[in-house]
Amino acid sequence: MLSAALTIARKDLTLTLGRGSGLVQALLLGLLLVFVFSLSLQPGQRMTPQAAAAVFWMASAFCQVLIFSTLYAHEEVNGQRQGLVLAPAPVQSIWLGKALAGIGMLAAAQALFIPAVIVFLGQNVSALWPLGLGILAIADIGIVAAGSLLGALSQGQSAKESLLSIVLFPLLIPLFLGGIRIGTAVFSGALAEGAQSWFGIALAFDAIFVAAALALFPAVYNAEE
Amino acid sequence: MRNFLEKAPCAAPWLALAGGLALAACQWLIFVYAPVESTMGPPQKIFYLHLPLAWWGLISFFVVFLSGIAYIYSRKPVWDALSGAAAEVGLVLAVLAVLTGSIWARHSWGLWWTWDARLTTALVMCFVYAGYLIVRGLDMQPGRKALVCAVVGIVAFLDVPLVFLSARLWSYIHPPSISLEPEMKLTVAACTGAFALLWAGLTLFRFKLALDAQRLDQSAMERLMRRG
Amino acid sequence: MLLRARDLAHFYGPRLIFKDICLDLPPGALTVLAGANGAGKSTLLKILAGLIRPSTGSVETGENSRGQKPRIGYLGHQTFIYPELTALENLRFWTSLHGHAVTGSDYAAILERVELAPFAEEKARGFSRGMAQRLNLARVFLLEADILLLDEPGTGLDLRSSAVLLREILAARDKGAGIIWITHNLEEDLRHADSVAFLEGKRLAFYGPAKAFRLSERASVPRPEPFETREARGGEPC
Repeated sequence: MLSAALTIARKDLTLTLGRGSGLVQALLLGLLLVFVFSLSLQPGQRMTPQAAAAVFWMASAFCQVLIFSTLYAHEEVNGQRQGLVLAPAPVQSIWLGKALAGIGMLAAAQALFIPAVIVFLGQNVSALWPLGLGILAIADIGIVAAGSLLGALSQGQSAKESLLSIVLFPLLIPLFLGGIRIGTAVFSGALAEGAQSWFGIALAFDAIFVAAALALFPAVYNAEE
Repeated sequence: MRNFLEKAPCAAPWLALAGGLALAACQWLIFVYAPVESTMGPPQKIFYLHLPLAWWGLISFFVVFLSGIAYIYSRKPVWDALSGAAAEVGLVLAVLAVLTGSIWARHSWGLWWTWDARLTTALVMCFVYAGYLIVRGLDMQPGRKALVCAVVGIVAFLDVPLVFLSARLWSYIHPPSISLEPEMKLTVAACTGAFALLWAGLTLFRFKLALDAQRLDQSAMERLMRRG
Repeated sequence: MLLRARDLAHFYGPRLIFKDICLDLPPGALTVLAGANGAGKSTLLKILAGLIRPSTGSVETGENSRGQKPRIGYLGHQTFIYPELTALENLRFWTSLHGHAVTGSDYAAILERVELAPFAEEKARGFSRGMAQRLNLARVFLLEADILLLDEPGTGLDLRSSAVLLREILAARDKGAGIIWITHNLEEDLRHADSVAFLEGKRLAFYGPAKAFRLSERASVPRPEPFETREARGGEPC
């Protein structure tokens, strides 16, 4: 299963880097969001750390919807989905492969969003940055686990990106709240009470959605038109 | 189980009627029997509607979750019909719960909206199940749509405790819970019971409609099978 | 038996496609699947491949000669080709996904056989329909499947490529593969078939040895009109 997943992830990253339009679109959308929010500031004014962290996670959210609709759209061009389903590896390896490719792309995008937030929204990074990286990693795992499961809904032409975001965004709220709270701490340098609990909630989210995806993905992804 | 499920809708009119009568009787309990709450005054009475709405909304979503699992396990369309019916009723109840909760918040804390964990969870559930109903309305092969909906219904319910915990951790304001007098407790219990009847009646009505639609499709299919 | 289908029936929405279909696929046999347009040939092949669930009935896979679960190679109307990958990358992806050990010289050999060797490093985006179909054939034959399900593999191929296709199909059969072949060139390809399955009137109207099959008896096959001769026109010149 792992080798099939790695094969799929490698193929998807090659496709993305080869053409790149999928990731570039997602990156631009996220950067535009950050830029547009910087317009809410007076010259010389700084955004509050909490608002900046919220903008960062919103950019990440839109970005990942585009990433997963692109990743699954690759399989619709010439009916490749049928070929993937016919492969002898368990169908969950498709979920895992897409999730691996997705987390790579999401992390690459976030690597650009962080400096954008710092520059456009006037933030400073405090000594708490390792916490920020920690919640980033944990939240990203949950985001791609859910994104790869629900991205498969867009199989065929029946569902569009807008639908994916309608279903996905509310589900991801626990991760966003945790990400925003810890992000606020990173930008402001003051750690509020209950920081460990956020890590606990985010880890619980990861565990639940990875398990749910492994159990449910075969029902979502098949060769039917 | 399946037979029971298919016969259950016959009870829908009686349940709805009983629910209506019981709710009417509850008005007497709410406005005459239960005392006026000392700090909030009469607006507190909305609580007797709010709590049953929220509870039965949550139970509806639990039914969506269970029947989603049952559908994936058995692939019997009857489960898909049940989860669709429960989701529709659940969304209506959850929206009403959010509205009544918002009115409550306005009178209690002077704000239409606060980060109360329960209220936030109800709102997020409204969004999730509105999305669920949009998926139900999509044009897909029937079997595939039922599967996709089952998956969304399961994942959505798994998210409920996470949303609740994170909303509770997020909020600075911990809304003080009011102490209920015995008459109030009895009233709220009676309202919840009356809503149970109404809820079951509504859900079974929608369930029956969905089953009838499936039965029509099935008989059309069988006729074609014989002719072809 | 590599594949055994029993009592298959399929609906698309309320429309019956076919019913009462039973098929057996022994190793080393070539079955031609034929029928008019819309008779459900492609749907049947997808059901046999396990891509769609039949409305009723079952498809079971047996064992190949080595006692393993047989590998299925499916070639449908769509080419499964990623346009943004090169020909070679496409083949590498599919073989690696199937966990099939293939050496560099195997890739070179199959690309040579389908006459795509000069384009191995080119992105498939620029390929013509015929080239894409040949790459698709390379993918299917490279997997060395035990069961080959081919849905009009000759689409878009010129005469020379069609000959390559036929050669590959017969070679796979001689190696023991069970093959079901949907072809639009029935008269020509019937000669190579071991058995024929003919879909007509929402059923398998004929299923048996190819020798016993008379194409001209099938109602849904248009009979070629004889050319008008000068005599028939009453001696008038053209």
